[in-house]
Amino acid sequence: MRFLLLNHIQNAKQSLKSSRVRSTLTMLGITIGVASITAILALSGGASKVITNQIDALGGNIAVIRPGITSSTVDNVTQAQPSRDYATSTLTEKDITYITNTPHIQSVAPLMVLSGVIKADSTAPEGSLIVATTPELETISGLKMREGQFLDSTVDKNTVAVGLQLSINVFGTESSIGKLLYIKGEPFTVIGVLKRINNPINYNSVDFDNAAIINFESGKSLNQNVAQIQQIDVKADSVENLEQAVNDINKTIKSSHKGEKDFSVLVGEQIAQPTSQLFFMIAKVTTAVAAISLIVGGIGIMNIMLVTVAERTREIGIRKALGASNTDISCQFLIESLAISLGGCISGYLLGYIVAIAISKFLIFYPVFTWQIALTALIVSLTTGILFGLYPALSAARKDPIESLHRYE
Amino acid sequence: MTDTTSTPVINLHDLQKRFGIGDAEIFALNGINLSIEKGEFVAIMGPSGCGKTTLLNIIGLLDQSYDGEYELDGQSVATISKRKRARIRSKQIGFVFQSFNLINRLSVIDNVALPLIYKGVTKTKRLVIASDILRNFHLNEREYYMPHQLSGGQTQRVAIARALVNDPSIILADEPTGNLDSRSSHIIMEELSDLHKRGNTIIMVTHNPRLTTYASRVITMLDGQIDTDTKTNNVNDVKSTPHIEEHKSAQSIKRKKKFFSRIKTRRRKK
Repeated sequence: MRFLLLNHIQNAKQSLKSSRVRSTLTMLGITIGVASITAILALSGGASKVITNQIDALGGNIAVIRPGITSSTVDNVTQAQPSRDYATSTLTEKDITYITNTPHIQSVAPLMVLSGVIKADSTAPEGSLIVATTPELETISGLKMREGQFLDSTVDKNTVAVGLQLSINVFGTESSIGKLLYIKGEPFTVIGVLKRINNPINYNSVDFDNAAIINFESGKSLNQNVAQIQQIDVKADSVENLEQAVNDINKTIKSSHKGEKDFSVLVGEQIAQPTSQLFFMIAKVTTAVAAISLIVGGIGIMNIMLVTVAERTREIGIRKALGASNTDISCQFLIESLAISLGGCISGYLLGYIVAIAISKFLIFYPVFTWQIALTALIVSLTTGILFGLYPALSAARKDPIESLHRYE
Repeated sequence: MTDTTSTPVINLHDLQKRFGIGDAEIFALNGINLSIEKGEFVAIMGPSGCGKTTLLNIIGLLDQSYDGEYELDGQSVATISKRKRARIRSKQIGFVFQSFNLINRLSVIDNVALPLIYKGVTKTKRLVIASDILRNFHLNEREYYMPHQLSGGQTQRVAIARALVNDPSIILADEPTGNLDSRSSHIIMEELSDLHKRGNTIIMVTHNPRLTTYASRVITMLDGQIDTDTKTNNVNDVKSTPHIEEHKSAQSIKRKKKFFSRIKTRRRKK
């Protein structure tokens, strides 16, 4: 039995210590790579967690129907908010009727996001949305009123519920009930102000703090009497019946769409995906950058290890003469490069979270801490260490002992 | 001392070593036939470039590219795997180099303990054994010195201590006194001849004819071939010079005796 591993670790520690600056600089390459990967994973995890939490909070019996098929990620990114204005929705008013008549469906709320000027004392800033929907949205999305009431079937057609921020923006006050709000030139009476939600990322893709919510019919009339449905929110009567309901919806809408599957019914985590798709796209690009920095860091390791091997050629010769096998020699150098990458991993992981927490101060969600992220960082850095340490280690082992002994340090 | 009935420890038959190819081909070793018995103290002499060191490297299993037969303990070396050869170097062979070849970034005791690493000895045990050996070379106060803080003679004693730490049966010394003055040389030779008395096989390359008096067999080489091969009879009659007498205090002799008895008991236990 040979207890070489411990010895190699001690050896690596000592040799890294003796060239501290060099080791630290080499480690830095891996640190940056691991840090960016950690930060991205932590933040994107945080982003999708926000949405999943919302859905969970609403009871988990929510389904969302969106036009188009969500399998293609690029499509989903291009269907993000700005381009909705000119993308024709495949969902129709008929579909709403079908869905409403599906068994186990408790409530249905279509969402029609319009663009247009919102005006009162002052014009609402960009990013304010006009949302046309049905009263059921209140229960499905769990909207809470600060003052007044949400839309219901009894109120007048030209009434509006506004988000708190919008109310402040256009009226200069939080209590704007009874005031007139001009949407696309049409006057609407404010009947309710929503509680602040502070949650621009949600599965409705609507920042309700900044939205004017009007009746679906009014929305249609503002849009040349055409229903432009971006999304239909559906709530089943229980979690158990949700799957059955989703299947029924799929079937009925598909048959009414002449057998064409030009929509998707999303449940649970699927809902979160397309909403944060743009974010994930950015995350992917950043991951690619992180991968490149890891490769560069790896090349740094390889470079330094080759230098170390060259520096210690004589030592290799001595060790071989004293009974070290090729495996012993290659292990010694491999563990040294692993030590560098492991050091980079630990400092990168910490730095990644520092960066993620710093960034999250400007965002509305927090980075997540999961063992998967730690494991990913570990695997990624160790793989880099092995991959780029292997060649120097093998070249060290292959050195001829006699030639090595004649090399003077 | 030598036992002619047993198989020789080292048996070389028509050993050839070539450098270069074609017209530039040079025979560093050209048909060496040599058998060395267990317990011999062989001194190899000869002018520079006659192939002494090359021969030593082949015997020490460091060089594998040769023609001819080399049998170690009756086994043909060509059939031994690389890993096994490393194992043999670790357990049976001790190297002493002319240029000491200590690892500069390791302390004296770590250098001495180095061969034990590859034998699989645990760290505490390694240090105990290394410390024991160093004490017998009067270096116990220098255990945590770095190699560059030692004198030439001390460095070579460390190198010999390192060669001995594994208790090897064959000790290969390549001009162990080449870099030392005559006084240090004789101290080193004293150590080697003590080892010889304990039954180790020693093969030493040297330039200095005076040192051959310690050997039981003197081989001179010329142009890659063995020129003369004489056995001397003064096997245990080691010559003492005034230098040595001067150096050895009564204390150190006592220590040495203690060391040998300890080694012997260790052997017997095995």
